Amino acid sequence: APDPIDDPAPDPPPAMDAALPAAVVATILSRLDVRSLLLASAVCRCLRSCASHALSFLPAFHLDEEVLTHDLLRPLLPRNPALRSLRLDAARLDDAAVDCLARPGLHELTLRNCNGISGRLLRELSATCPDLRVLSLNSLADRRGLAMAFSDLKALLDGCSSLETLSLALDFSKFDDPSFSHVWSSASQGLSSLEMGFIPLQMLLALLAVAIESRQRIGYVKAPVFFPSLQKLRLTVEFITDDLIGSISTALPLLTHLDLQDSPIMEPESATATDLTDAGLQQINPKGKLKHLSLIRSQEFIYTSFRHVNDLGILLMSEKCSNLESICLGGFSRVTDTGFRAIIHSCPGLHKLKVTNGSHLTDLVFHDIVATSLCLTHVSLRWCTLLTDVGIERLSFNKDLNVLDLKDCKSLGDEAVRALSCLPRLRKLVLDGTVITNQAMEYLGAGVCPLASLSLRGCYKLTNDCIPLLLAGSVKESLHALDLSRIPSLTDDAIMVIVRARTPLTELRLRENPEIGDASVKALASMQFEGVTCGSTLQLLDLYDCGGITLLAMKWFKKPLFPRLRWLGLKGSLNRIMVDALVLTRPFLRLACGGEELGTPYRDTSGEWCRHEDDDSEDLEPWQLDGEPVSDAETTNEE
Amino acid sequence: MAATPADASSSSSEAVVGGEKSNKMITLISSDGESFEATEEAAKMSVTIKHMIEDGCADDGIPLPNVPAKILSMVIEYCNKHAADADDTNKHVADPADADEDDDNNNNNASAGEKEDLKSFDASLVAVDQATLFDIILAANFLSIKGLLDLACQKVADDIKDKSVEEVREIFKIENDFTKEEEEAVRKENAWAFNE
Repeated sequence: APDPIDDPAPDPPPAMDAALPAAVVATILSRLDVRSLLLASAVCRCLRSCASHALSFLPAFHLDEEVLTHDLLRPLLPRNPALRSLRLDAARLDDAAVDCLARPGLHELTLRNCNGISGRLLRELSATCPDLRVLSLNSLADRRGLAMAFSDLKALLDGCSSLETLSLALDFSKFDDPSFSHVWSSASQGLSSLEMGFIPLQMLLALLAVAIESRQRIGYVKAPVFFPSLQKLRLTVEFITDDLIGSISTALPLLTHLDLQDSPIMEPESATATDLTDAGLQQINPKGKLKHLSLIRSQEFIYTSFRHVNDLGILLMSEKCSNLESICLGGFSRVTDTGFRAIIHSCPGLHKLKVTNGSHLTDLVFHDIVATSLCLTHVSLRWCTLLTDVGIERLSFNKDLNVLDLKDCKSLGDEAVRALSCLPRLRKLVLDGTVITNQAMEYLGAGVCPLASLSLRGCYKLTNDCIPLLLAGSVKESLHALDLSRIPSLTDDAIMVIVRARTPLTELRLRENPEIGDASVKALASMQFEGVTCGSTLQLLDLYDCGGITLLAMKWFKKPLFPRLRWLGLKGSLNRIMVDALVLTRPFLRLACGGEELGTPYRDTSGEWCRHEDDDSEDLEPWQLDGEPVSDAETTNEE
Repeated sequence: MAATPADASSSSSEAVVGGEKSNKMITLISSDGESFEATEEAAKMSVTIKHMIEDGCADDGIPLPNVPAKILSMVIEYCNKHAADADDTNKHVADPADADEDDDNNNNNASAGEKEDLKSFDASLVAVDQATLFDIILAANFLSIKGLLDLACQKVADDIKDKSVEEVREIFKIENDFTKEEEEAVRKENAWAFNE
């Protein structure tokens, strides 16, 4: 105790629960994410009651990383008339949870993985949430035996008349009905963004035909109005054809975002009605309003591409596309540098460029990119096998580059990375399948890129020495996600270096590395950090098919080790009993034993960065034209 | 705002001309007797003070026995800054004649720069020690200044975010008054949140 004769010691800072009234503490807690709120409730009795109170007036409840059951969720979602926005992973929910999800006052509802919920959700939403503005669901009623019908869609469209964004990433053939086209005239007049997961082409053409016919009758009394405010459209069909493009352009001339993907199961014939040709491309964007365009032919079922489109089509299209800010072209195998250059030089506002399967794309595309005033931030050039280091050097004049994906550009090497290491904003870099060596890692380590995510999958020339080179500079602090899969010469020593460098990794992938074993697991489990968290920061660890992993590694996954781990990939042939026992003690750990890719693909439903992360069908490596067999294809969509 | 000795006649009473900003100054008196002046516009950012003005109780200065001088000066600084910003926004909105695109861009750039300034002002205002931050919250709560209350509460929330239970106790000097069983029960209820 301080001597009262001397200067009195300064008052100790007040404890929060004593200094502030409970209502204010509850207000503070209501500004936290759900997890922090629950942690706060374990601090003291006062905070527990304030947290409980806060739950009844939270404006937003967003829980993306955890998958909760209905029993766990219900007490966290009490009656709350102030709740406007709800975002959850619904993988463990079923119809019993519908009352919890469809709550009065809701403006925004985003649910992932609704496989266990039936179409009843749509009916409940229409009855309970008339003010709903944003609805985003995927895989609704996917599970066998769950009912979903056209009447559910009709109820939703009739009841939610304030909808602005509607994203239903599911198979619309379930909604097939003679009234399917007409029901859209009773949808919200303010609907500005629409996503349909998959819709049969004929259903879509019929809908567009009705919409076109109705436009021609505007001015007549009681003419139904279709999509008066629609600006963003995103969907998948079996084939993209000239007819489809023409219909969309006529029915929806004011679109700013158009995102079309097809996945043919057989080769389209050459007639206009069955495939996309130059004539069709010419019809895109009639009023020049498009800001974002994405046309992708997926190779999910067969190896195919837009064979009837060549440079002429792209040239004609780009004449009208001066307002484009973002473009994704997948499967335009006949387009050469002429076409791609036309885009770059016609679209001064372009920020995002994605080309997949650009088999004729060469360095010439970027030859004089300096002469444009382009400010590219996101660039993805996958399977552009003719692209060399020179092209990347030219591309790297874009100092604003944020994200660069060069997967399977097999002609790229160290000099390309040297050019990239000067980019001051580069956060995400994918170099899968390139022929870089340790030298490239030295460049990155010495460079200025604030890399948060680096993927080196299949860079077979790398060895253990690349890791200390990479982590020599600022990358050590910024790196969160690292993919070192399929690098045969990588051993446990490399992982030791990572651990010793204390890089705060949240994702580490080491798939199919024969030399990675138990020692790596032990090292990663023992990672210690001062400050915020103790123990490893890893949330995702993929050790699928690592040669040295044995049952002994299992003990390193027990609590309290790896406290944040949510995703774990292991080879399925490990003793099932032990693996199952692990899952029982860690109910929130998602285990993949069949080689599936880990992690929830982040769905950017704003359509801005087109289908980048979740389009796993693009990961299927194509059979090369010259017949060269490729390494085992990655499994398709884990959804 | 500089402190002036308490002066009963310090408030000028110019009549408010329709549509123009009032120049009337309001005197606010802190708990330790210091007087501060603020424009009526800035003072009305506090709903409490606004009501007192409208009820005619403000002519001799408004005593605020809950708010010490140090805090009151910060609060007034906040109100001055944000009242000016609200005014500027209104000015921009009130000039629809600026149909020219360049002008629009200039206006947008100007207000974007001002917004940045405001953001950094706000950030530095709440970058204070805990005791002061709590006092700001109490003052903003008492005076009903929503913007300031939101700002200060968000700062405290940011300090709590992503911390462990022990860390929160440490930072905010909170004593753990749970029994062992109670604490276990709380942690078990939502085990998924507790790094398990």
